[in-house]
Amino acid sequence: MSAIRLALVGCLVLVVSCASFRPGNPPLQTYAPDAGYRFERLEAGENSDELLVIVTFSGGGTRAAALAYGVLEALRDTTVEWGGQRKSLLDEVDVISSISGGSFPAAYYALRGRQIFDEFPERFLYRPVQSDLIKLALSPGNWIKLAAPSYGRSDLAASYYDREVFGGGTYADVIARNRRPFVILNATDMTAGSQFPFIQDQFDLMCSDLAGVSLARAAAASSAFPGGLTALTFRNYAGSCGYRQPTWVALAADDHSSRVNPRRTARAEERLSLAATGPARPYVHLTDGGVADNIGLRGPLEAIASTNTPWSVLQMMNRKRIDTLVVLVVNAATEPDTVRDQTPRVPGLVDTLTAAATIPLDNYSFDTVELLRKTMNEFNADARLVDGCNRLSAAKGEACALELPAPHKVDVYPIQVAFEYISSREERRWFKNLPTTFELPSGTVDRLRTVGRRLLSEDPQFQRLLQALDGCLAVGQQC
Amino acid sequence: MEYVIVTFPTKRLVYIDDEENGHTNEVLRVDEGTHVFALGNRHNFRPASRTVMVRNTSVLEPLEVPFFHKEE
Repeated sequence: MSAIRLALVGCLVLVVSCASFRPGNPPLQTYAPDAGYRFERLEAGENSDELLVIVTFSGGGTRAAALAYGVLEALRDTTVEWGGQRKSLLDEVDVISSISGGSFPAAYYALRGRQIFDEFPERFLYRPVQSDLIKLALSPGNWIKLAAPSYGRSDLAASYYDREVFGGGTYADVIARNRRPFVILNATDMTAGSQFPFIQDQFDLMCSDLAGVSLARAAAASSAFPGGLTALTFRNYAGSCGYRQPTWVALAADDHSSRVNPRRTARAEERLSLAATGPARPYVHLTDGGVADNIGLRGPLEAIASTNTPWSVLQMMNRKRIDTLVVLVVNAATEPDTVRDQTPRVPGLVDTLTAAATIPLDNYSFDTVELLRKTMNEFNADARLVDGCNRLSAAKGEACALELPAPHKVDVYPIQVAFEYISSREERRWFKNLPTTFELPSGTVDRLRTVGRRLLSEDPQFQRLLQALDGCLAVGQQC
Repeated sequence: MEYVIVTFPTKRLVYIDDEENGHTNEVLRVDEGTHVFALGNRHNFRPASRTVMVRNTSVLEPLEVPFFHKEE
């Protein structure tokens, strides 16, 4: 009898293993640049373009989610004077770009708006997600699914998030809400090594309809931490929907040989590669967004520095639609203590590989924040230069006065929330030693929410912004 | 960051790589590289478009991309 059972199980495993791949992303019938999840398609409502607020949430499991959530609470409780009325700064947030753990509050906010403040803590922050995922992976009922070559632990996690966190929500629901902010969950394309944003512009390249993708699957791809979780597979239908690349792509690709702006050329070539008919890459494997950029800032930086992005901030500046630009980076990066240098022993393999994997990412994140600072300073510097020349020439007499034309002036506010800026050495060390996991004690989540709010309030650029906008961050009920 | 000024006798919309990007006779910011410039509204300008490599500019010396009235 047991032999028969064993044979039946064996057959079942064989059948499931050979079962065809079921993509979580449907095809797009016809390319429609005026439809789908795109920045310019979202109703701005009372959210003005003149004050453009971009927020980024880093990776870091529940640590990152709780810190990001604390910042969202603080933005909700911050009121500013804008357009002749007092309003919550949260209602002025235009774009959220997120990675991994930070993608959970970002996706939830895209789906449910302010209901996040009633629902998300229980649905995610204080939930033992990690234990639940491990139980699911160890459940014999799931072994058959996991035996299939095109089904991995992240597929299992995605179905859990879909059921327990996002309630079956899809991008169609987010599009139907038709409200800013434009929320961009980012994963990493394992083959191209580039960031893969969950927006329709990216899915156009694959002739796929983002509206049919669940938020759970996007969040699972964004947080598919290498090793613990597997990459998620998406189907590429390129060539089937009449897609046309934007004009700049061919121009940038032609710049390859002249080596002018290799970054722009690389972006063009990545688009051409993904959209190559055949398709050249019928499947796309996405892993944790943190592999390409752990703070979610690269996309916004490109939007700020280039007119050739799907939601170009530079284009909006040229059109004089922006007067004030705020970029708030919420970074839950840690720096765990080590005893490595207390002993002459050669570091072990795990220690060495961990260092090799994390140090380049941390350095890249540091450089990305520096690039933000440099780029935003450039906007100020060019305005100061033109003003200075005009003033100097005018001082030489009316005959010498110049009226040099200047680009549209924009006030910029790069704001950072990071454990690095906790002033107490002991407290900073405590936060910098928190683990990356999808399960933290309630007290730790509480502290992360509180410190997010405090770090925001202490940031000098945030204080400058509040001063400029007659703003205030409420303490208790008082503002 | 690079700087251009698309010149024309009157104020017109400027299209850079087929996307609306401000107006003529204003300093506009673009990224380094080859771009195609054109004007909006009526087509009484020449040339129909200009494809230009933009590099080595500064805010004090933006690259001029001139357009002219087309003879009727």
